[in-house]
Amino acid sequence: MKIMVCLKQVPHKDARLDIGGDGTWIKEDGIKFEINSYDTYALEEALQVKDAEEAEVVVVSIGPDRVTQALRTALGMGADRAIHVNDDAMNGSDSLGIAKALAAVAKEENPDLVYMGLMSEDGNFAAVAPMLAELIGIPHTTAASNIERSAGSLTVDREIEGGAAEVVELQTPCLVAVQSGLNQVRYASLKGIMAAKKKPLDVKTVADLGLDGQVGAGAAKVQVAKIAPPVKGETAEILQGSNDEIVAGLVGKIKELGLL
Amino acid sequence: MGSILIVTEIQGGQIREASYELAAFANEVGAATGRDVHSLVAGKGAEALADEFSKKGGGSVHLVEGDVFENYNAEASAAAIKAAIEASGAELVLVSNTPSGWDVAPRVAAGLDAGFVSDCFKIEVEGDGVGFHRRVFNGKLDAHMTSSGGLIVATVQPGAANAFEGSTDGSVSKLDVNVGDLKTKFVEIKIAESKGVDLTKADVIIAGGRGVGAPEKFTEVVQPLAEILGGAMGASRPVVDAGWLPHEYQVGSSGQVVTPKLYIAVGISGAIQHLVGMKGSNYIIAINKDPDAPIFEVADLGVVGDLLEVIPALTAAVTEAKG
Repeated sequence: MKIMVCLKQVPHKDARLDIGGDGTWIKEDGIKFEINSYDTYALEEALQVKDAEEAEVVVVSIGPDRVTQALRTALGMGADRAIHVNDDAMNGSDSLGIAKALAAVAKEENPDLVYMGLMSEDGNFAAVAPMLAELIGIPHTTAASNIERSAGSLTVDREIEGGAAEVVELQTPCLVAVQSGLNQVRYASLKGIMAAKKKPLDVKTVADLGLDGQVGAGAAKVQVAKIAPPVKGETAEILQGSNDEIVAGLVGKIKELGLL
Repeated sequence: MGSILIVTEIQGGQIREASYELAAFANEVGAATGRDVHSLVAGKGAEALADEFSKKGGGSVHLVEGDVFENYNAEASAAAIKAAIEASGAELVLVSNTPSGWDVAPRVAAGLDAGFVSDCFKIEVEGDGVGFHRRVFNGKLDAHMTSSGGLIVATVQPGAANAFEGSTDGSVSKLDVNVGDLKTKFVEIKIAESKGVDLTKADVIIAGGRGVGAPEKFTEVVQPLAEILGGAMGASRPVVDAGWLPHEYQVGSSGQVVTPKLYIAVGISGAIQHLVGMKGSNYIIAINKDPDAPIFEVADLGVVGDLLEVIPALTAAVTEAKG
């Protein structure tokens, strides 16, 4: 059983978001990065399979040198091997470009299962997972809130509106994009972190994957023209003053609403 | 010039409101750029729905009929959409960003080597092309995206536009789709069990987010305020994901959608999935340390400060006012 887990390293949840020079993304210098939280649930799910039976968990990520840190963390949590696609030629890729790179890795690895997060917390595109499934010709589902495995198939609860779930059955090999809260994500133990240093971490280039001309800014069909703080229409009236004045203001409003 | 294709969604035996919102965008962009509007209605026994949609902004409706379309199936849906794109000569495909929309639309885009943008709150004509506006960083920043040309598949935030109004001349034609051998199977729908916390009935909800800091703070700080106001406690998704509170407290697109008289959001930044669950509230107060938190965009009244100071003080003041 081989499980491929795709993960993305993203700015930390509380990182300062300053718009960069050309206005198309945020400044990355001086901020902390972390593994995209949705992907941590995917990794945990794969590691639970490994706890239960013989399985190889291969983690894959795309990005610059800093991504090594994220992959080592994943190896420390228990993944067996890591693949780092590290090549400036990937810069400016749209979701499809990212999916193509992951598909190239998947075609070499031939996993039984592909797990990844529903979306990344920086771009929030929620695009790569279904795209990857299409490119490698396997069935998929998204927003998984429960996964049951049987011989030859997966039965997955997919979150739909109103707290309900739709149950789908996928023949393996298949891809599942997981929803946050799928499980309780483990911490890397000290022993795990030490062992991680010796686990294989292979670096691949765009040329290695045979993707020249298919990825990066030049191949992207959509691009971010500009990012900016939201144009706020009406926003909240902000209560000013001392704590006492603020509390008095709140009490006054609650009274006005007839709730006190 | 390529046409615009609306991918409709049937829910509860009707074409859902979100599809009529797509019709509004499609007709606006279509009129401004001289593009024809087409639609896809895929379902079982959906002829009457297709007819209705053709008269309310659907344009040339392609009807795909079959048992396999009775419930959502990613592969079948992708096959139908691809067939409709071909039949309509579409250059721009609009899908609602619902659980089935976000599931199938990227798959369709990849299969056709197309551009893809998701969860757009605005789509407008820009020069020769179309501009797409969406939020990034969990709602904290706006991104304006453009395409280099060619086929674009875009998902649109439900509720971002008003539904199409008026009546139009349209047409319905049948489209045959071969879905092939499906490796995906719909099994059933599991309804959420209501476990006694029905937030939809509460007049007052105090909802806490990640900013509350720790599970015991919900008991110590958030709960007392809810109680003294005769209301209910709620939570944002990250709180439930972290295991601080069970799922029945969750407010949001995959939890409960609430419209109380008063909603007080504390330590909640305001990601779109949460806003969807509470922005219909009669009055919203938000307390957050971050002045740029998106929650302040839907709140009526805000406090930029530490909820762990403000809420206990408010609870005390309310207790006193009640005498």
